[in-house]
Amino acid sequence: MRRSCSIFVALCCCSIFLPVVCGQSVVARWDFGTEEPAPVTMHGEVAKDIPGPRPPEFPDFAEDNTAIKLNGSGYLSIADPGTASDFDFANGDSIALEAWVRLDSPRDGQLMYVIGKGRTNSPRFARDNQNWALRVISSKGTARLSFLFATPPAPGQQHWHRWTSQTGFPVETGWHHIAVSYTFGEPQSIIGWIDGRPTKGDWDMGGATESTPVVDDDDIWIGSSLGGSSSNSFRGSLDSIAIHRAPLTQDYVTAQFNRVGGPQVVEPQPAVMPDVKGVPNNGVVVTLSGGFPNDSRWPLTSEAWPEESARLQVPQFLLHRVPAHFDDWGIRSSWDAPVLVRMAGDVTLPVGEQEFLIRVRSLSRLWVDGVLVAQTPAARRRSGNLEPIVPIPVPPVADGRVVGFVQQETTGTYEVTPVAGEASRSCRVVFEFLVGGSGQRTESGEVCVALQDGDWYRLLSPDTRSALPLLNHTVATALAEIEHRVTIFEDFTRRTAAASMSPFWDQRHQIARDWVIENSPDHTRQSDVSSENIDALIRKKIHQASQAAAKHDAATTEHFHQKVLPVLRDQCFRCHGEKSRGGLRLNSRDNVLKSGDSEIPAVVPGDPDRSEMVARIRAGDMPPTEEGLASEDVALLEEWIRSGAPWPAQAPPEHLTRLAPVIDDAAFIRRASLDTTGTLPSAAEVTAFLSNSDDRRRERLVDRLLADPGLADHWVSFWMDLLAENPTLLNQSLNSTGPFRWFLYDALRDGKAIDRMVTELILLRGSPHEGGSAGFGLAAENDAPMAAKAHILASAFLGVEMQCARCHDSPYHSTTQADLYATAAMLNRKPLAPPRTSRVPDAFFESKGRESLIQVSLPLGTAVTPAWPFAAVTGVSDDDEIRKLMLDPDDSRERLAALITSPGNQRFAQVIVNHLWKRLMGAGLVEPVDDWEGHPPSHPEILNYLARELIIHDYDVRHILRLIMNSRAYQGEAIGQNLEAPPDKRFFNAPDARRMTAEQVVDSLFMAAGQSIDVEELTFVHDGSHAIGKRLTLGKPRRAWMFASLNNERDRPSLSLPRAQPIVDVLEAFGWSGSRQMPIAVRESDPNVLQPGILANGTLTQTLTRASAGSALAELALEATEPSALLDQLFLRFLSRLPTDAETARFLPALSAGFQSRVVNGDIASSLPVEPALPQVTWTNHLVPEANEIQLDWQKRVLRGPPPDNRLQPDWREVYEDIVWSLVNHRDFVWIP
Amino acid sequence: MSPLHRRSFLAASGCAAASVSQAHLLANSDSPPALRGKADSVISIWLGGGMSQIDTFDPKAKGDPAEKKAGGYYDPIDTAVNGVQVCQHLPRLANLMDRVTAVRSVHHEVIDEHAAATNRMHTGRPISGTVTYPSLGSIVAHELGNSDAGVPPYVLIGYPNVTRGPGFLGAADGYLYLTDTSQGPAGLSRPSDISSRRQARRQKFLQSIATRDNGTSARSLRDYELAIEESLRLSGPEFSSVFQLDDESADLRNQYGGEFGQRCLLSRRLVERGVRFVEVSHNLNFLNGAGWDVHNSGIVQQHKLIEELDAAVATLITDLESRKRLDRTLIVITTEFGRPPEFDSGGGRGHQGSAFTCVLAGGGLNHQGAWGQTDELSKKIVSDPVSVPDFFATICAATGIDPHKNLYDGDRPVPITDGGRPIRTLFS
Repeated sequence: MRRSCSIFVALCCCSIFLPVVCGQSVVARWDFGTEEPAPVTMHGEVAKDIPGPRPPEFPDFAEDNTAIKLNGSGYLSIADPGTASDFDFANGDSIALEAWVRLDSPRDGQLMYVIGKGRTNSPRFARDNQNWALRVISSKGTARLSFLFATPPAPGQQHWHRWTSQTGFPVETGWHHIAVSYTFGEPQSIIGWIDGRPTKGDWDMGGATESTPVVDDDDIWIGSSLGGSSSNSFRGSLDSIAIHRAPLTQDYVTAQFNRVGGPQVVEPQPAVMPDVKGVPNNGVVVTLSGGFPNDSRWPLTSEAWPEESARLQVPQFLLHRVPAHFDDWGIRSSWDAPVLVRMAGDVTLPVGEQEFLIRVRSLSRLWVDGVLVAQTPAARRRSGNLEPIVPIPVPPVADGRVVGFVQQETTGTYEVTPVAGEASRSCRVVFEFLVGGSGQRTESGEVCVALQDGDWYRLLSPDTRSALPLLNHTVATALAEIEHRVTIFEDFTRRTAAASMSPFWDQRHQIARDWVIENSPDHTRQSDVSSENIDALIRKKIHQASQAAAKHDAATTEHFHQKVLPVLRDQCFRCHGEKSRGGLRLNSRDNVLKSGDSEIPAVVPGDPDRSEMVARIRAGDMPPTEEGLASEDVALLEEWIRSGAPWPAQAPPEHLTRLAPVIDDAAFIRRASLDTTGTLPSAAEVTAFLSNSDDRRRERLVDRLLADPGLADHWVSFWMDLLAENPTLLNQSLNSTGPFRWFLYDALRDGKAIDRMVTELILLRGSPHEGGSAGFGLAAENDAPMAAKAHILASAFLGVEMQCARCHDSPYHSTTQADLYATAAMLNRKPLAPPRTSRVPDAFFESKGRESLIQVSLPLGTAVTPAWPFAAVTGVSDDDEIRKLMLDPDDSRERLAALITSPGNQRFAQVIVNHLWKRLMGAGLVEPVDDWEGHPPSHPEILNYLARELIIHDYDVRHILRLIMNSRAYQGEAIGQNLEAPPDKRFFNAPDARRMTAEQVVDSLFMAAGQSIDVEELTFVHDGSHAIGKRLTLGKPRRAWMFASLNNERDRPSLSLPRAQPIVDVLEAFGWSGSRQMPIAVRESDPNVLQPGILANGTLTQTLTRASAGSALAELALEATEPSALLDQLFLRFLSRLPTDAETARFLPALSAGFQSRVVNGDIASSLPVEPALPQVTWTNHLVPEANEIQLDWQKRVLRGPPPDNRLQPDWREVYEDIVWSLVNHRDFVWIP
Repeated sequence: MSPLHRRSFLAASGCAAASVSQAHLLANSDSPPALRGKADSVISIWLGGGMSQIDTFDPKAKGDPAEKKAGGYYDPIDTAVNGVQVCQHLPRLANLMDRVTAVRSVHHEVIDEHAAATNRMHTGRPISGTVTYPSLGSIVAHELGNSDAGVPPYVLIGYPNVTRGPGFLGAADGYLYLTDTSQGPAGLSRPSDISSRRQARRQKFLQSIATRDNGTSARSLRDYELAIEESLRLSGPEFSSVFQLDDESADLRNQYGGEFGQRCLLSRRLVERGVRFVEVSHNLNFLNGAGWDVHNSGIVQQHKLIEELDAAVATLITDLESRKRLDRTLIVITTEFGRPPEFDSGGGRGHQGSAFTCVLAGGGLNHQGAWGQTDELSKKIVSDPVSVPDFFATICAATGIDPHKNLYDGDRPVPITDGGRPIRTLFS
């Protein structure tokens, strides 16, 4: 990711950084302090504020001197000011480069750029344009200096020239000073220094040359070259880099290196069992420490152990993942890898020699009572795509848990000595291991310590009840508990961090409430149940419409509405309806009688010839189409004007105004559950609700559902669509983003206020690849990502549609290209020019005969400065008032967030409540929800009322959901036709019929069948061998929203995800897309043949409607006492209602036949699947042909599905399954009642 | 304004803002009369990974990977068309090159990203930050529609992928897909373990369930019920029979070859049934690991892929011809990009977008054997360059679709091709 960040460069004008001795020669110097005098662009992973050389070892430096640290994936760039700059050196010019460096453990032969100019792989320059460069090369533990430059290529001549020092310094020995000095054109002038001592060297590539070097305007890079290639990038810390335009003197260099205490002697620290504090009595404490100095060895004497940053407790020495890391606002961020993990517990062990088994991915040590019992080395790096397939080991016992893919395992023994003659005693066990590091994911794999027990092992645990045998099913149970604890730990960590911002948000919400009181004094904070207001306003509109109905005779009314109005609407309203192009609107009688910019009335009743509208139509310039208006339509309009231009009101049809009957309780609980938790209610919930006689049972149900954590699982999909969350598992493609689904999900799960969620989204915080809101800021293959984001934000939160404005001013909207880029620049924190590729070429206009509908008002190359273009539409302007809502008023990005979420922004709250209304009612008060210009609300008072309610209730969307769900309007039968009606005919006499969303279909299928989603982890990296930024991991889906696009554009079976595919097939058939290249405000919901098809024939339904071995449906059938009760249960599960008498009459005979003899003497164990485990396919082995076979084998298994439960008689079971199938395939399963 | 009316309004106003890729925008006004072919269906064979043109349809003098000498990997052979050669592993197609045009001068600028190149060669244009373009298959499905009610217009034999999808046209123009010819398409083939008897019982049960609203429902619900009926019909015996490859003679099935050949055979059966566009993917990486993406050692077994392609496509041509369908069925072979004549350090080849070959066969075109010329190393185009939009326009014209027609992404007009012009010679 490209981040721009200004850090601490002082150019020569800034005298405070100038060295004393030959200061006049310094042209640039970077001290990496915390002050930031001038911008340097930071790329990739650059850690700031790392300790630099400091006293007492280096007394000339400040106590708090800071440096930067690079890990091979980051660098800094500085633009060359232009021709003849201080960074340009031609023959005769002297250059000297110096730096303080501290090398971590570089690979042998690693070539690391300290600083260089050119060779950046910029397309603007030749690739071999090295103006000059200072590097260090590590070889066998010694680092040497390397000075490199290129001369312009000439036939038959070497144009690379490299000088390498003869002496070096040992790596991993703290800070060293290096320098090199050279006068171009004088090969003998070169000299290097290490720690103040001169070193000779050799021109060992291309030879010495008197030719002049390449001089151009390419950038200066610190820490890398060749486009950021990791094999040329610096790994370690850098400080005090300087460039001189004069040779250095020995005196100067000697003065630079002042070290107290001589060279560092570096050796591994002695291995000692760590003293873990606070070990609980009956559990295992897990401590986590980020920022471990090295990922492949234990610390050296020169290195410090990192501080513990978090701890949690688990029952056994078993862990499957490292908990997520959160920043200080509680937003997902990255661990500072490698992470040191320690598990410690006091375990009672039997006296005698004990064998311990450890399983872990990389470097680890197991200690018992201070003795090192077992250890594993650092893992070998896997790479490429042809690593051998790792066979699954065969355990010596049935169901034995074998070592996980790419985990190491080893054993060690320890003699437990008796104390006071006891047969056992408590021993302190500590297992420490490293997770992640350069280029590796921070993923632990399944880690465990187990104790030998007969032929096999038991999990080690301080609690004997938790010391489970190491078997697949016991480990699965234990891991479920550990996952639960890790989730609680993550929730706690995140919420604690988020609480640090509560005072700020409390204050903002106080401002918001005050705003409502001041601006809307009539709007008092009422009791929560004020849903009656909604119903009253709906009745009011219906009443008014009937009152206004027809004062004209029926024939005139019909003629106008059937003939005249359609012509006006189709031909004129696009520009002269709600919009007023040319100052003219033609959408009411009052309006047609007015004059537009032409100052002539559009319509003069009774006199077509004096009507400007007719004149323009006759002249052929209106409407602005090639063929103009058909002659019969012209005649129609003329006749209408001649007859006085009547505009009679039409009585609204009864089906739009008659209030729908209220749905029954069974339908209500189904509807309400789907709208909150996103799934069907359970059979038990339906039964309980149907027998509840409490008058307020619906309100109470709504309250319970709104408090359910499932609310987040349901609503997160909506936001992912609206905000174009688009993570890709393989390579990034168009508009790929990070998985900011986790940010959204956390915010919803924690009930964050919507203004806060939107603000934190816009601030792009946390890890872009691990679920922070920063993931929203990415847009792969997009020439203007911030413009794409500005477009998304404006449509999602302001109802302003700016798609067209990307390349030209909007033809049908008032927004301009400058508006879009001004917003984008606010996000960008600096001016932004539209790229050439996002612009209609001038040639387009030259080819047009007539004036084009579209305009490009922004000259090419114009950088648009950050500005808020929505003052008029939102009611909030960018003035000093907005500072009150901000932490950093100078940050344009935060300013954008504050302007969007300000209480003074009328639009924001209205747009939010309109989204909620549409989701619950099937149509918005404003349609389309993402494009409000020219689209008035059907019920402005409801819109306004709900918006104020949102603000005054601290922007809690649950309050609005509660208001709507408790209204009679929501509880009406779904026979509304609001979506298709124009605003004036949209009465909301009933909600519109809604089909379940794709996620609701899938989650409801699993819910009704009583099963959980069980698919492979969504990733192509199972061995941690790619950095998370290169290929994502989206985890194992638990709910439908967690799936992602399974794009396999290479058509390789080895890159398919066979277990996820059947679920994704259902999701996609029902309108879900994992590829959200554009924001999706409204999903396609037209019925198509694939929807019922995939339910009728798809693998998912086949699996879930089967009474498979041990499944909930099989158990239900086995436990049933009466066929009628079983039938009731099926109807309650799948349709949330009891069967009708007619249905009972049809189904019961089928279910009763053979009911008594349905249970046969089967054995559940023998009906369970016994398929052998298949080896893991992952990116690094996917081109091995066997990888295809494995995935195709998976596909076959998935297609076959689980075996049926053999305790059920097959003929009866099939009838039972067919009934289930019919319930799933009935229309009412997928339509919300 | 009704959507239909609005579209005609926009088309007439001609505010084409669709493409920002320069130059092409000017091309339309002086175009010669439109070219129209008479094909009614397309079988599009997709070679993922990037077929090496110099090792297949644009052979040149042999090189040597050991010596790092640029050139072909195989020997060229003569074909039915004078002066046109192909590589030695395409012997059967060599005899049929008079029904084929290897367009050797296709080019684009996408080099090193498979997903991006796949997208380019499916949508025919550079990605845009603001529009998701439809694939060619969806465009053909959209323009030609169902040939007889009830047959899906677009079938994909390969893994589903957004690039192959309908983009802004919407789900109605999407594909049905299958990844295994022994199964029907996902969602429309009844599971093998459900007998007709069980299916009948299931449908009887289904009809026994009352609807919540007693049939008084909105149009959308009634439409859904119609869709249920339609899906039951499509998964019934009539349409499913198209997937019964066993109905073909064993001899013909053998001629087609392995799974890829069977895919081609199924494509023929699908277009006979009225499917408009079938995309057949040929990159199952069993034969050489990497499929057509022959970096490093992937090239060692490349000839197996070529031979498989040769057998299947040659059989498809003769089979269609014998059934009098070749003139109405356009066969297309496209790929991500080509490969350079130079060898990489592992003896394989990198990517080359600046000159590569796509193939046309049948479809009633005036075939030339080959069209467009590259230099002696198949590295640079020396005559008759064919842009991706031109190639797409040729396919459109062959099927009677106007390549300049505007489709609409909301308000935004998007021409079917990005200013592409058909290869005129193929229509004379």
